[in-house]
Amino acid sequence: MTTKDKYKKVAYYPGCALEGTGHAYNRSTKAVGKKLGLDLVEVENWNCCGAMEVKNVDPKLQTYLSSRVMSVAANEMNMDVVMAPCNGCYHNLKKAEYDLKNDAESAEVVDGLSKKAGHKTYESGQVETIHALDWIKDAIGEDGLAERVKNSLSGIKVANYYGCMYTRPRHIFPEKDAGPGSESTSKPHFMDDLLAAAGAENVEFPLKTACCGGAHTLSDSDTSTKLVLNILQAAKLAGADVIATECPTCHTGLEMHQIRAEKTLGEKVDIKVLYFTQLLGMALGLKPKKVGVHENISDSMQFLKEKGLT
Amino acid sequence: MPIHEKSLIRPENLKTHDELVIDGIDVSGHWSTFIEPRVVTDYNEALEEEIAALPGGEYIHRCWQCGSCTNSCTVHAINEDFNPRYWIYLIRMGMESELLRDKDIIWQCVSCNKCTYACPRDVFPEGVMKATSHWLERKGHTPMSPSMHFDEVFTEQILKTGKIEESRTIRRFFSRTKQGLFQGWMIEMVKQLLKHLPIGLLTRMGLATFIAPRTRDWSRAGSAMQEYIDEQYEKQEQALTLAQLVEVAREDAAA
Repeated sequence: MTTKDKYKKVAYYPGCALEGTGHAYNRSTKAVGKKLGLDLVEVENWNCCGAMEVKNVDPKLQTYLSSRVMSVAANEMNMDVVMAPCNGCYHNLKKAEYDLKNDAESAEVVDGLSKKAGHKTYESGQVETIHALDWIKDAIGEDGLAERVKNSLSGIKVANYYGCMYTRPRHIFPEKDAGPGSESTSKPHFMDDLLAAAGAENVEFPLKTACCGGAHTLSDSDTSTKLVLNILQAAKLAGADVIATECPTCHTGLEMHQIRAEKTLGEKVDIKVLYFTQLLGMALGLKPKKVGVHENISDSMQFLKEKGLT
Repeated sequence: MPIHEKSLIRPENLKTHDELVIDGIDVSGHWSTFIEPRVVTDYNEALEEEIAALPGGEYIHRCWQCGSCTNSCTVHAINEDFNPRYWIYLIRMGMESELLRDKDIIWQCVSCNKCTYACPRDVFPEGVMKATSHWLERKGHTPMSPSMHFDEVFTEQILKTGKIEESRTIRRFFSRTKQGLFQGWMIEMVKQLLKHLPIGLLTRMGLATFIAPRTRDWSRAGSAMQEYIDEQYEKQEQALTLAQLVEVAREDAAA
């Protein structure tokens, strides 16, 4: 089976953020999948992957949490691909996969916990974890996407922001940096490629993989605000109207600290923040509400109206 | 011991005299800056092992001080005192008192993993930062950092229900760190969201605060993880020699 066919039907792991603050991403991912004829089967009775927090208590617990999600997909649902749109979930599943394959101690702890919890232990290699970007890029491709575009994103200048967890650390993403066509960990381009296929004009944005301080968005807000402000200003200077995101923590962080920067530092940066799936969805002819634009914190409706996407 | 790190020369020990003549020779001004000598005696020989015993610190011994971590560090770019390479050096040398000078900022690592990405020796400096902040807390050098409070609130909720419900986690975190929830920017954020009335979203999030989302049949997984955490904690206490300290104190009290 080709990758293209394999990705037509995947296990969908939304994760906690996509049921709360990142619901717009959940809504738009599903809507885009439906529009493109791709099948998403939600992982049954999933649990949290541990996000950025459990690893600080003990990294092996995080490995266990992620392994359980993959175990359900593989052993209870017979799926061989898990698609996670959230960078945190995607990262953690990838990291668990790496650790289970390469670290005997992690594998032992996970096995012990799985047995006590009463489910089959996940064995590395049972599923392939992919990001929503891989999913659309491989199952549909740029050409396929371009054919289906109803409202071109032409005239919209986009800064594509990928954040930390999609590319770092390198060793947990063996398929990246693998030559022509593969994703790059230093200059990622999958989101650029997809949005360009939908007609958007991508700006040269040097902070694609900069950190938004998401891990400390509440526990050290001043640091997060500084980091976010830097990203917003750099995108603005690069000439972007919109920052496209692919992670609910980054997205919420950018929106929250855009407001916080204005309130606490008096720095107002007028730039929109939208999930890449929202932009793609509208390009495919979906109404803004269908892709959850009203669920974002900041208001982009006027802007979208001007660009003819409503 | 000769001075092996420029950063170990404390600015307050640099002496420049506007007018100073010693044995008839003029040594005034910037050209004749003196360094006041100091003696470091309180090496903690066990420091590296202690950090290595905490999760994340396992590979600190691999470091060969290239500085790629500090060079790539997100936090270093906004605060020059945040210097992972230097802290790893101090830990490996056992210079505890020097490390303690920076005790209040080490927890600020944002886990962006740029250091781990850049490290040619697979030290996993991000993990070392976490291990070091845990060490500082466990040894009583710092109060629990807001970040660790957040990690705890978060982990507790996962052990209990298997899932995170954000507004609950946020409320617990704010109350545990004794911060007011109604900060200006928070209110502004909610105000903006309310402007475009995402009724479905608000209803769902509101409902979730009453009926927490949970993973079914989670209790066995939750208690297995709690058991594991307790076991690990015990092991780490041994490594940190805190256990022995408690023992000595007990004997002392008994006598």
